[in-house]
Amino acid sequence: MARDRGSGDEYTGPLRRLLVGALLVFLIALFLLWRIDSPRAERFRAMLIDRFVPSMSWALVPVNKIGDLIEGFESYARIHDQNDELRRELRQMRAWREAALQLEQENAKLLDLNRVRLDPALTYVTGVVLADSGSPFRQSVLLNVGGRDGIRDGWATTDGLGLVGRISGVGQSTARVILLTDPGSRIPVTIQPSGQRGILAGDNSALPPVDFVEDRDRVRPGDRVVSSGDGGVFPAGLLVGQLVAGPDQRMRVRLSADYERLEFLRVLRSVPTEEIQAPGGLIGPPAPEQSAEAGDG
Amino acid sequence: MADMIITRRWRYRFLFAALAFLLIFWKLLPSDQIAGRWPGPDLILLLAYVWVLRRPDYAPVLLVAGVVLLTDVIFMRPLGLWTACVVLGLEFLRAREAIWRDMPYLFEWMMVSATIISASLGYMVVLALFSVDQPPLGLSLVQIFATIATYPLVELFSSRILGLRRMAPGAVDQLGRKI
Repeated sequence: MARDRGSGDEYTGPLRRLLVGALLVFLIALFLLWRIDSPRAERFRAMLIDRFVPSMSWALVPVNKIGDLIEGFESYARIHDQNDELRRELRQMRAWREAALQLEQENAKLLDLNRVRLDPALTYVTGVVLADSGSPFRQSVLLNVGGRDGIRDGWATTDGLGLVGRISGVGQSTARVILLTDPGSRIPVTIQPSGQRGILAGDNSALPPVDFVEDRDRVRPGDRVVSSGDGGVFPAGLLVGQLVAGPDQRMRVRLSADYERLEFLRVLRSVPTEEIQAPGGLIGPPAPEQSAEAGDG
Repeated sequence: MADMIITRRWRYRFLFAALAFLLIFWKLLPSDQIAGRWPGPDLILLLAYVWVLRRPDYAPVLLVAGVVLLTDVIFMRPLGLWTACVVLGLEFLRAREAIWRDMPYLFEWMMVSATIISASLGYMVVLALFSVDQPPLGLSLVQIFATIATYPLVELFSSRILGLRRMAPGAVDQLGRKI
């Protein structure tokens, strides 16, 4: 069959090839730039996302609401069982509430007696989840609060109950939260009640493992995991989750935050504590005046 | 006649961009954040490769590169590298589109699979060379496999629902050249 195999564009062909070549060079250069000057490239990315994603929120919000509505209808089917379950739980909770109130009063009294100065209370900014990372290999969400609300990189984010992640990437009106399950997430934690320190390292699974635990024999599944505040990354004492034993004999954490519905997140404003710079001067009687004696001789 | 071809072409290009935006939008929906799900197929890549093998002029390289670069930015991938791999594959397919027109469908599927695998492998190798953190190999392989397996579906969707047909023998573009 007589067909022009080269599709017959001997005039536009070389020009096109040049264009494609230039495009490839540009893309590779962009990648190299990203690799060499990552912070600047990530700032550029945050700026672009800041521009692009909020403009979609008019559509994102109704679609999310419809999804919630459908889930709500599904839950009608088992509303009776749920009701019974809730009633049982409520009874238990009442007992716990009583215990908690008593403990709180006792705690307040003891603190008052000891004149203990705890951390200044953490204040927070609440944001709505706009979008997720969109990639199966990355675990992060985008919040609708950003630089103009005073959000800074590195601040902790909770869903009211448990730790969710850390701010990484702040745009003018959006901020990205790297979730604890992201492969890039490393958080220093303390395991209660034994007080062992460890690092919670996300690995793209729903139950992130705890690494670098000093004494494995002293931690047990069911232990509480809280943030330790080591390295000044996070405020200490935020609830992270509970230890479980993974199938591969590693200690993993079942996260307390409800990752199935991340809707409103609290960004905790953490104010860095003052650093002690100098070793401190000698304390003693005031030194005799040197200059007067030197002039006397 | 020429005007009609041009408007048709621009309509399909617009359709391509709209479909891509729809896919991005759908992926960004924060339905739930459970980690460790199996990754699905890369539908934007498939759409570009199906279209370039049906009607090369409906998937111009700048449009595809722009869309994929946007996904690079939004989906937190290294900037530009995946786009470069996709564009290389796209141009490879475009150069052979005319030759493969008469080949059986299975052959086309195999060649597209080979292109997708090479693009993904190239991407992974370059990331490894630059020592960038990579997703686990298993998950990437699952995604490549899912993408290849979905190719016939995207092809059916494009031809049946969007009406994207191969060019008839002897079709000409607006300048009267064979395409």
